[in-house]
Amino acid sequence: MKRIRSSIIDGVGFDLVLVGIPLVFLLLFSGLPLVYNVLMSFQEVDLFSLGEVFRPFVGLKNYRALFAQPEFWPIMWNTVIFVFCSIGGQFIVGFGLAVFFNTGFRGSTFIRGLFLVSWVMPGLVVGATWNWILAGDFGVLNYLLSSIGVISENIFWRSDINYSLWAVIITNIWLGTAFNMILLSVGLAGIPKDLYEAASLDGATAFQKFWTITVPMMRSTTGAVISLGLIFTLQQFDLFAAITGGGPANSSNVAQYWAWELSFRQYDFARGATISTIMIAVVMVASVFYVRSTRHEVRG
Amino acid sequence: MMTPHLNRIYLGAAIVFAIIYLFPLYWMYVTALKSGSEIFAYPPTFIPKDPQWGVFSHVWEVRGMGRFIWNSLVIATGTMILVAGLGTGCSYVLARYRNIWIDVALFLVLMLQVLPASLMITPLFVGFSAVGLLDYPRFAVILAVTAKAMPFFVILVRATFMAVPAELEEAALVDGNSRVGAFVSVVLPLARNGVLVSAILIFMQAFGEFVYSKSIIQDVNLQPASVGLNAFMGPNTVEWNNIMAYATIYVTPILAAFVLLQQRIVAGLTSGALK
Repeated sequence: MKRIRSSIIDGVGFDLVLVGIPLVFLLLFSGLPLVYNVLMSFQEVDLFSLGEVFRPFVGLKNYRALFAQPEFWPIMWNTVIFVFCSIGGQFIVGFGLAVFFNTGFRGSTFIRGLFLVSWVMPGLVVGATWNWILAGDFGVLNYLLSSIGVISENIFWRSDINYSLWAVIITNIWLGTAFNMILLSVGLAGIPKDLYEAASLDGATAFQKFWTITVPMMRSTTGAVISLGLIFTLQQFDLFAAITGGGPANSSNVAQYWAWELSFRQYDFARGATISTIMIAVVMVASVFYVRSTRHEVRG
Repeated sequence: MMTPHLNRIYLGAAIVFAIIYLFPLYWMYVTALKSGSEIFAYPPTFIPKDPQWGVFSHVWEVRGMGRFIWNSLVIATGTMILVAGLGTGCSYVLARYRNIWIDVALFLVLMLQVLPASLMITPLFVGFSAVGLLDYPRFAVILAVTAKAMPFFVILVRATFMAVPAELEEAALVDGNSRVGAFVSVVLPLARNGVLVSAILIFMQAFGEFVYSKSIIQDVNLQPASVGLNAFMGPNTVEWNNIMAYATIYVTPILAAFVLLQQRIVAGLTSGALK
């Protein structure tokens, strides 16, 4: 007993305690639910058996039932569009801004930092604000678009099934651009300046320098930022809750919102767990790419 | 480097970009100040004609915001304390050694960071109901948010501990400190800023948390401000000035804290997030 105590105060035990307790906590509240989720997706769950661990096993019935639902494929397709367009938009705008701010004019760090307010705002506040901006009759976005002549009549962003998903995508691009920009700025700052100076001496144009130095040197950062973007985009929930609620008629529903709806709107926890299991597998694959692209840095 | 003239052009462009980007925030503030009829004016007014400063106290009272904000504070404070208490030591150990076990633990932490809350809530809710934690809904939310936020904290703070020279700790050990003594009196003070900034980031995140609170907390008296805002936005609402006033009250303290700590937060993010 005494040896254990002295080891905790002055030996390896100290490290083990410091790292052990948090890991046990994480396994208890993240790892265990993960396993439990997979288990539930193979069980029959109703409100009466909610408190039990061992319920009747039904094999792949939940999966088959889920795939057979008519909204399954449209929602999956929405998820793909949402993820692809959100990441694309965030990355392109973020990269442009990062290159711009990387010129290092006086005041650039301060103004660049201001962009991050979008990232610290609660998701519900961002969603509420954009919900109002995107309003059909009185929304300021419709006013601005029609006054510069892009649209001739108001777009009902939230209630038109052709635009509802885009309402969330636009908001999500706004939300994620700043974070993308900051991460890309780190990569840009890491490119040695003498490369550009040497290219200038050789008479390269700005475009050539961008294409032959910036783009190749940013490859590993780009990989990390894109896979992080995939992870964060698949986590996006608040904007759906605050802007469209997945509607109208599931036209803006995506997998992560649907999983919650199945569990907490329709109380079908088995199907909620089933779609969660599928999506968690997708996220895991993305995070392996992320870890791979930052591995050399993780090792220090 | 740059001529003053060119510098001014770039600065001007940067300000224009910032104004465009931050327009939604401006729109939230001006909408809150407009009257119930002015918000539906066409073309919309960009500066409120008759600012309604009383809207904030009105919304605060009518929506019972004191209770919502208090619950948000309870959840955010509890999460921050739990995350910092558990995560600081963990990140220290993960920064101090380099071997295969540390790599395994880091990989585990990174993997757990990516699990979306809206997917994890199903098993968490069922599990919490099985062990009776749903009777203490705010505590249950704190536990769930802590599990979600801790990996991010560990990654940020680990970068801070990496910057503390190991020689300083070794010197303290040679001087007769125990491991605990060296950690508390030498390493921790040197990493204080990084730990504080990361803890504040966790606080901000937990202050805006929605999925777990919405699903776990059924009692209106225990719900945080995010759930209250969601309930305020019915499908056919016309009270957008009041909703924006609610949002303003909710978000302004966070924005103020962010602007004050901006440089440190950005520095912390850029050193930790990609490493």
